[in-house]
Amino acid sequence: MSLNRLNRRTFLQSTALGAAVIAAPSVLRAQGAPVKVGILHPVSGALSYSGQQGRLGAQMAVDAINAAGGIKALGGAKIEAILGDAQSTPEGGNAEVEKMNSAGVSAIVGGYASSICLSASQTAARYDLPYVVDVGVVDSIVTRGLKNTFRFGPGFGVIAKTALDNLVAINEAAGKPAKTVMIVHEDSAFGAGLAKLLNAQLPERGFQILETIAHPTPTRDFNNVALKIKAQNPDIVIPANYYNEYVLLARTMQQQRIRPKGIYSVLGGAASSYKFVKEFPDAAEYIMDCNHWFDPKNPKAQELKKQVEAKGQFYTYEVYMNYSCVLLLADAIERAASTDRAKIIGALESSTFSGHVMPYGPTKFVNGQNQGAAPVNTQVLKKDIEVILPAAFASAKAVFPMPRA
Amino acid sequence: MKGVGTILVVAALLAAVPLFGVSNVTLNFLVTALIIALAGQGWNVLGGYGGQYSFGHAAFFGTGAYVSAILQLRYGVNAWIAFAAGIGAGALAGAIIGGLSFRSGLRGSYFALVTLAFAEVLRILASVTPITGAGVGLLVKLDLRPEAFQFQSRVPFYWIILALVTVSLLIVRAIENSRFGAYLVAVRENEEAAKALGVNVIAVKLGAMVISAAIVAAAGGFYVQYFLFIDAGIAYGPWISIEALLAPIIGGVGTVFGPLLGALVVKVLGEAAKLVTGDAPGLDLMIYGGVLVLVIALAPRGIAGVVADLRARIVRRKPEAKPEQPTAGHHV
Repeated sequence: MSLNRLNRRTFLQSTALGAAVIAAPSVLRAQGAPVKVGILHPVSGALSYSGQQGRLGAQMAVDAINAAGGIKALGGAKIEAILGDAQSTPEGGNAEVEKMNSAGVSAIVGGYASSICLSASQTAARYDLPYVVDVGVVDSIVTRGLKNTFRFGPGFGVIAKTALDNLVAINEAAGKPAKTVMIVHEDSAFGAGLAKLLNAQLPERGFQILETIAHPTPTRDFNNVALKIKAQNPDIVIPANYYNEYVLLARTMQQQRIRPKGIYSVLGGAASSYKFVKEFPDAAEYIMDCNHWFDPKNPKAQELKKQVEAKGQFYTYEVYMNYSCVLLLADAIERAASTDRAKIIGALESSTFSGHVMPYGPTKFVNGQNQGAAPVNTQVLKKDIEVILPAAFASAKAVFPMPRA
Repeated sequence: MKGVGTILVVAALLAAVPLFGVSNVTLNFLVTALIIALAGQGWNVLGGYGGQYSFGHAAFFGTGAYVSAILQLRYGVNAWIAFAAGIGAGALAGAIIGGLSFRSGLRGSYFALVTLAFAEVLRILASVTPITGAGVGLLVKLDLRPEAFQFQSRVPFYWIILALVTVSLLIVRAIENSRFGAYLVAVRENEEAAKALGVNVIAVKLGAMVISAAIVAAAGGFYVQYFLFIDAGIAYGPWISIEALLAPIIGGVGTVFGPLLGALVVKVLGEAAKLVTGDAPGLDLMIYGGVLVLVIALAPRGIAGVVADLRARIVRRKPEAKPEQPTAGHHV
């Protein structure tokens, strides 16, 4: 079912781009038996936008690999994507893993949400099926001792630490103008967890927390929160929430003319999203974020950005993380020279893959976690998103405190 | 006892399914459907027979799930004992919520809203309390040993959930045939009249609530063992409250086989919609919703009701007694 559709879609896209010549072999599949890879995302339900972006990234990687001649160690075998919809629930993810296993996939990439990754990778472990987590930041994903599970991106602990280090660095570079902080977070997994971490660590690093405000997802009105911020007048506002709430909070603050010295988010739902910057450029300007981001100095990453934008899509982190994860897996299959699951797990364990588009350096897995994985700090500057830290990948200098309009 | 034979035959037929070498995909599908059937049967005791439409049976599903998971994770309790304790805790939650709302005389939509509120409060509490893993949820460690209530193969899981469903069918059949069941139906049909005839209305409703909650809690506890992961949204989220009432409503409210039929049909429908629509995200859910609306519009008494009508038409005479016909629909 998925196979035919994928090929038809691949074919249509390729022709439209005038690249039919390159892509045609992936349709014809003249070579040896294709390597089946499960591509699992929540493409319907609450997380559907992120899931669809993730699927897009994974499919683009599959197309790119096939266009470049497939898996050479297997006689140029093509990668055949078996698409799965986790329907934004762990059971949905679980059911898809069962289907993919029955379809004979060699490995699975994706999951997106932490809860889906936890459940899907565990089910895959029953079949010794290699599972590459695309995003899922909860650290328990890689601390369960599952041999089949690999996370290419960073986990929560690393992200929170980097965010705090960088906040201190940015503040010190500007002559320590910021002393007080207010946290506005959503009340589920990541928001509440992050607020707890920040509450514990910010005082140690010389910041005073004026207030921590929790709100549910979804929230449709931030006027009261904005009024509280106005009354407390903190130097820095730290939002930790999903896309819609983030946008609404930023816009409400803009409307009520609340200008703290900085808005600094961690895994901000919108702060490093081209969608937000394009749709609400004034509200987004100068917002800083610590988040997943591509390596801006990598030409491959820029090329992918052009391709994604040519499709009329936004270049979001789900796209390039999934793109990188599929490349990472293809490299492992190439080195394993086999579709055997155990051999692929072995190849992933010893991976030193560096052909991805993330600022992680060569891959090195320890207990399934990629050691080089780290977030970067971005800032919205002149209606574009620039990397401001770490210096090695920076494309601009941080503007802090934000200028008074 | 009347009507036990049918239940055992159905159970035996279903139990034979894995012997035909069906794939894990099918087994996984059946297990998920049976979890819903079990939760639906729990809801059916109170909603179908007692006429008390609850919108918050997630409260018991979640309690069963969390108690089982927490005992295993934090106190090292054996998974089977934890599972039993989860059922007990669910029954207790039923007694508390039922006691509070029935003593306050809440009926109909008010009862529905209060149960919904209880489930939501529990969801919010579970998403902030450390013992429930707050927003991150709880992860039961993978330990594929029968002693740990985990199995390498899907088949034992399937048989266990089938056994649980069979027990729930037998319980409901026993209720139907008992004096308690007669009181319960009397309360459903006319609470004032039942009271006037000397039925202890609160005790009867409370009894139904406790049985109902215990069955739903068993579904929650099984869910944990099967998926090994639970968070506030899964445990206490509205999805399970809705599935638990949808299955009996589709299958036939206040009938023994209604929830099982309903759960299977709803799940098959969902899968079929997915197959038809292929990769178009979300389209299957729209088709699913549309068909659901049609089913409810065309068969307000559920599939069991349609079957009963057909049988009556074939036999060309009305069944002598119709204890399985609900009239509590006006609450929703």
